[in-house]
Amino acid sequence: MNCRDMNHALIGRSMASPLPSEAEDHLRTCARCRLLAGALRLPVAEARPSPASLRRIETGIAAGLRPVHPMGSKNCLLAAFVATFIATVALSVYRMGAFAIAVMTPLQTSLTLGSLAVGTGLLAYSLVNQMVPGSRHRISPRLLPLGAAISLVIVIAVLFHFQHERNFWAKSWACIRAGMPIGALAAVPLWFVLRRGTILWPTMTGAATGLLAGLAGATALEIHCPNLEACHILVGHLGVAALGAVTGLLIGVAAERGLPGRRLNDSDY
Amino acid sequence: MRSGLQENSVAQRSFVDLDHWMERYQQADPAAPATLIAALSPALLCFFRSQQANREHADDLLQDTWLRIHRVRHTYRPGEPVLPWVYAIARRAGVDGYRKTRRIAAHEIAVEALPARFAQSEPPNGLPAFEDLVAALPEAQQEVITMLKVGGLSLEEVARATSSTVGAVKQKAHRAYERLRKLLHTYAEDNVAGGAP
Repeated sequence: MNCRDMNHALIGRSMASPLPSEAEDHLRTCARCRLLAGALRLPVAEARPSPASLRRIETGIAAGLRPVHPMGSKNCLLAAFVATFIATVALSVYRMGAFAIAVMTPLQTSLTLGSLAVGTGLLAYSLVNQMVPGSRHRISPRLLPLGAAISLVIVIAVLFHFQHERNFWAKSWACIRAGMPIGALAAVPLWFVLRRGTILWPTMTGAATGLLAGLAGATALEIHCPNLEACHILVGHLGVAALGAVTGLLIGVAAERGLPGRRLNDSDY
Repeated sequence: MRSGLQENSVAQRSFVDLDHWMERYQQADPAAPATLIAALSPALLCFFRSQQANREHADDLLQDTWLRIHRVRHTYRPGEPVLPWVYAIARRAGVDGYRKTRRIAAHEIAVEALPARFAQSEPPNGLPAFEDLVAALPEAQQEVITMLKVGGLSLEEVARATSSTVGAVKQKAHRAYERLRKLLHTYAEDNVAGGAP
C-alpha cells in the first residue's frame, strides 16, 4: 500500500471504523500518513448553538407551522417537462410544417432527432433533481448543458455537409427569429413547473432551463427547415438553443445577485 | 477514530429518526421542529464554524439555514435521506453569507503555509486543531472534508449535498488529503527545527 492507496482507505470509510491491516502496516512505516491519520482522528471543537438562538428559531417556526404537501414524484415532474417540450414542438411543427423530414435521409432524421431527444431527456432529468436539494446527480449539472450542446454540434457536423451557401446569415437569422418565440413559449410552462421546487443555484438552473427551452425551438426548426447545410443548422437551429442557454444563464445571474442575504426575523416564518 | 463531537452528533441523531421527524414536520407536528433543530443544529453550526469565511457569522447562518429549511420543507421527499437535503440548503446559506461578508479573497487564496494562529490552538498531542487544519484548504475541499468528518455524511450523501457526483467528491477529498499531508509534514519539520516537542 502506498500513500495514494491510504487516501482511498481514509476516504472510503467512516472515521469511526478501523483501517484495514495493510493501511495500519503502512502507517507504521510512513510518517506523513501517520500525521494525516492522527490529524483526522483529532476531536473537533464542540459547537453548541446558544439556547437563545435555538429558542428563537423554534418559536418562530412553531408560530407559522402549517401542513405542507410534499412535492410531486420525480416521474411526475419529468413527465411535466417532457410533455411541455413535446407539446411546444408539436404545436410549432403543426403551424410551420414538417418539410425537413421529407428531405433528410432516415439516418439523418433518426440520429438528429434521437440526439435532441436524449439531450432533452437528460436536461429534464437534471432539472428535476435540481428542484429538490440533496438529490442524486449521475451527471454533474454544471457540465451537462455544455456536454449536451457539444454532443449535438458533433452529431450535426458529422451527419450534414458543409458547403458554401448564399445569404447564409440572412437565412440563419430567419431561422433564429422563427425559433426564439418557440423557445420562449416552452420557457413559460417550464418555469411554472420549476417554481414548485427550490432553486439553490439559479445560474446553473437558469442555463439548463434556457437550453431546454431553446432545444424545443431547435427541434421544431430541425423538423421544419429543409435547409440541410451543416453551418446553417449549427448557427440557425442550434443557435436558438445557445441563445436560450445564454438568456437563462443571464436571468439566473440576475436572480442570484438579487437574492438577499437575510437575517432571521420573526416575520419571516 | 471518530471525534467527540461526531460521536455526540451521530449518537444524538441515532436517537431521532430524521426521516420520520421530517415527515411529521411537513404534517405540522409541533414537536417535529424542536426535535430536528436540536438534532441537527450542533453539526450545522460546526459545519459553518469550520469554514474560514463563515466562522464569525456561524450563528446567523444557522438561523438563516433554518429559515430556508422551513420555507422549502415541501421539497423534502419522504423516504429520501434528510442530511443531504439539509446540508444542500445549509451550503447555499453559507455561500450567500460568504458573499454578503465580501470575503472573496479567502475563497481564492490557496494557503501554502498553515495559518499563523496554528500554534496557538494546538492541542496537547502536538497536532494542529481540525478547524485550523481545514482552514488551510481551498473552499471546495474544506466543504467536503467538513461534511465527511464533522457532519458524518457518507460519500454518497456529500455528493448529493454538493450537487456533485461521488467520483468528484472522492477526487476533492483525495486532493485535500494530499495537501494536508504536505502541510502537516512541513509543520512537523518546523517543529523539530524549532525544538518543539
